[in-house]
Amino acid sequence: MGNHTKRDKAWTKNDKIFLGILIPVLALFFFFNTLPLLKGFYYGLTNYRGYGDYDFVGLRNFKDIFTDLRVGKSYLFTFKYAVVMTIAVNLISLILALGLNREIRGKSALRGIYFVPNILGGLVVGYIFSFIFTYILPTVGEITGIGFLQNSMLASTKTAWLAIVIVGAWQGIAMNTIIYISGLQTVPAEVYEAGMIDGVSGWKKFWNLTFPLILPFFTINLVLCMKNALMVFDQIMSLTKGGPSQSTESISYLIYQNGMSGGQFGFQSANAFVFFLVIVIISFLQMKFLGGKEEQL
Amino acid sequence: MAERKKKIMALFLAVTTVSGLLLGGCGKKENAEGKVVIELVHYKPEAVDVFEALEEKFNETHDDIELVIDSPNDAMVILKTRFIRENNPDIIGIGGDINYSNFLDANMLMDISDFDGLSEIKENYLSTNKDLEYVPKDGVYAVPYMANAAGVLYNHSMFQEHGWEIPTTWEEFLQLCEDIQSEGIQPLYFGYKDTWTCLAPWNAIAVNLCETDIAYQVNSGNATFAEAYKEVAVKDKELLKYGQPNPVAYSYNDACTAFARGQAAMYVIGSYAIPQIKSVNPEMDIDSFVFPASSEAGENILNSGNDLMFSVMEDCEHKEEAYEVLRFLLEDENIQSYLDDQSAVPCKKGDFKIAPELEGMKDYIDKGIVADYQDHHYPSEMSVDAMIQTYLFDNNSNSLETFLSRFDKEWIRYNKDIISKVKKYQEKGE
Amino acid sequence: MKKKNREGAVGGKAINNVINVLLALGCLTILFPLYMTVIIAFKKPSEMTNDVAGALGFPANWNFDNFIEAMRVTDFWRSLGNSLFLTGVTVIICILLHSLAGYVIGRKMAKHKLFKASYFYIVSGMFVPFAVLMMPLVKQTAQIGMANRLGVIVLYVVFFMPMNVLLYSGYLKNIPIALEEAACVDGATVWQTYWKIIFPNMKPMHATVAVLTAMSTWNDVMTPLVIMSGSDVNTLPLAQLNFQSQFGTNYNLAFASYLLALLPILIFYIICQKQIINGVVNGAVK
Repeated sequence: MGNHTKRDKAWTKNDKIFLGILIPVLALFFFFNTLPLLKGFYYGLTNYRGYGDYDFVGLRNFKDIFTDLRVGKSYLFTFKYAVVMTIAVNLISLILALGLNREIRGKSALRGIYFVPNILGGLVVGYIFSFIFTYILPTVGEITGIGFLQNSMLASTKTAWLAIVIVGAWQGIAMNTIIYISGLQTVPAEVYEAGMIDGVSGWKKFWNLTFPLILPFFTINLVLCMKNALMVFDQIMSLTKGGPSQSTESISYLIYQNGMSGGQFGFQSANAFVFFLVIVIISFLQMKFLGGKEEQL
Repeated sequence: MAERKKKIMALFLAVTTVSGLLLGGCGKKENAEGKVVIELVHYKPEAVDVFEALEEKFNETHDDIELVIDSPNDAMVILKTRFIRENNPDIIGIGGDINYSNFLDANMLMDISDFDGLSEIKENYLSTNKDLEYVPKDGVYAVPYMANAAGVLYNHSMFQEHGWEIPTTWEEFLQLCEDIQSEGIQPLYFGYKDTWTCLAPWNAIAVNLCETDIAYQVNSGNATFAEAYKEVAVKDKELLKYGQPNPVAYSYNDACTAFARGQAAMYVIGSYAIPQIKSVNPEMDIDSFVFPASSEAGENILNSGNDLMFSVMEDCEHKEEAYEVLRFLLEDENIQSYLDDQSAVPCKKGDFKIAPELEGMKDYIDKGIVADYQDHHYPSEMSVDAMIQTYLFDNNSNSLETFLSRFDKEWIRYNKDIISKVKKYQEKGE
Repeated sequence: MKKKNREGAVGGKAINNVINVLLALGCLTILFPLYMTVIIAFKKPSEMTNDVAGALGFPANWNFDNFIEAMRVTDFWRSLGNSLFLTGVTVIICILLHSLAGYVIGRKMAKHKLFKASYFYIVSGMFVPFAVLMMPLVKQTAQIGMANRLGVIVLYVVFFMPMNVLLYSGYLKNIPIALEEAACVDGATVWQTYWKIIFPNMKPMHATVAVLTAMSTWNDVMTPLVIMSGSDVNTLPLAQLNFQSQFGTNYNLAFASYLLALLPILIFYIICQKQIINGVVNGAVK
């Protein structure tokens, strides 16, 4: 971008016009993004219910977050979900992409079908899967005699989170697969030919030749997938509503549930603010770590 | 291909514009005739038909007021969201529970002691509301309209067929369950996927075994739940073995449906479930009895609370018109039409026809041997229902201790502000 | 899995056939839930027996009663209209405003610190999840009378701004500055230059932004839920949420309603599948 080499940094008339456009945009962004963030911090200092009278309670809410069992559990659940999702989705979509990138019949039709889940709304998909988990899988379990299927996956604290992962992955894989495919298409055929001469084959070839070349795509997928998983809401709302036994409450769900309808407007505002800090730290670490790795290779 | 893209874009734009124009037509509700609009939001979506009829009737008979009644689903969420948006209706129809306590504590409700209709309301329902105040407050803030009763609903014809008797003690109740089971019928059905239904048996047991003001006592530091709830928790868990396997898999609707289809002989739930059950099986012969949680037959108390009451919002600008709406709702004829539809118990004095399903509880209602639900004092964000669910399906040997100690601990954390308020009040009193 | 990777993009025929079959079978996991939705949506409650055939067999006859009833109870056409309206207006505003913002910021970033700072300020907004801002936003939009469709649109425009500004200002590198300078010499104003030269040149990015914005807006539940719930304005997903709590046990009716909710975007996808996939890939990779 820097190829116009005006050393003169003074504000020309042209610059001022640009500034005139920039300021309203910034104002809009500030008013609906930064301001609410600051307000959230302010509400976090109160025992506000969201309506009526309230008092200041200082940093009490922020202290309470770290000892609140429910908040702690929701963080644990959300992270567990995000990590498992990220691993599962990336693994499966990478395999799918490798398959879909080959010279196979009906390639574009297959790609088209595999992408479908991504365009469907999470809420409705959740409702459909909820039916499958509650009625179809137990029936299948009974017929085939597979024990763990006989109870609804959504009804047990041990499996409910897995059910949410399955639905999340069903939708998430589509996007990552497409990105991996476009990554694989950037790998030149010469790389393989060179590899063949060296006698490199199979897993080794993938790991040593292909993977480094699609590493940027891997990074994107990791970041995207993690980010989406940390904000999981629709699936919770449609599959479990946080149950059974509060075992599947994500952070977003808890903020919505207790903040909006539970009378914890102040406390959940504090929670939201802490959540924001956590996201910033994770994103920062992710970029630093993966960025460093990319340079290395 | 670019052409095609353009076409799609154009189509998209056209659709958007058209839908925008279509929707532009329906803007804000403004009453052109200069009538005062009174908006009433209540939390009983199942009663939507009655309220629609009442709304129509009111508007036909009143020239100067327009009544608008909203019956949303998830009304409490919507109501609170509207409060957060500072978009308050004029009258709210809510239950006598913790939400009422909170609205009151936040000074959202109007003192309506000067409303003339209050004198016609039964005393015990008015005093129930007094118990819901965190610290005693002057004035009256709600008109109790309908009460409900919770206990055990049973399949009357099935009971007659097998000659089962209504139990009056805990031991008799367990024996009855055994008898039913031995005939190959399932005694109970649970809809524990919806966590709130876990509170139904819990309340029914607790009302017999605990004092009604236990929450206030704990807040004052004079009692613990670990002691008060021990027996309740044990008995609640004992019921599980008489229900269907894996009760967490089924929702309230599933349970109502199963009971209506005769898949279980009894259902521990409130009278509010009757319309739902009847919607599946209109012919069903249902009766009810008070849950016998005590070993002494004479000690049983009916669980009954204010199921629907009306409060005027503090910022309502048309107090007189709001009172007119309340007067209308309290007319005998209108109460009766609600009763016929919803199997409720009226809070107004007078002779009303009560639903036949409540026959078994009528004696308690008439004599006033009733006490409010325990959960009306639980803060909703504490999610006691989910805690009970967790406890019921916790198979560790120390589940009871875990649950009880968690209950006390969480109670203190969620009621911090209330406890300090109670303390302050008591210190002032001394 | 080892087998799959052995031959890269060129591949032996036999292995390719195996993979072909595997991939086709894999498609079933995508198609099965959709098939089930269609089947159940056409059945009557009495056909829902407790075995696999009851859930997955064909309905006794294909009639549209469930759909007609579902359209009535969810007020389908109005919800659809609302969803179209919200998505359409959001997409248009996003394209117009964000491309301009991306241009303004992207062009002056190198010269002035203020623009560079603005860039990072806006793009860092990507790290702010909606759940964090939700509660204050509900209050704020209500206080200024925007607890309605306008408010939802404005929130979307602000919420997608970081991503879109990043995309547009990144794409700007492909448009040589000489084009603008030439226009400037001809006496065109900044405004004219932008609309005549830059905006048309950013066309590929417009497609990407449109697809990404439209998909997120169309399927979003949370924003309309907290900003507009309780008013009589429903979006298509929101209508399903309300429907679920009201008629949750009539699965046939429910599935008819779900199918109706899925259909518009499915049809749209079938018509312009290529553009959608390209758009998504562009957005993620750029």
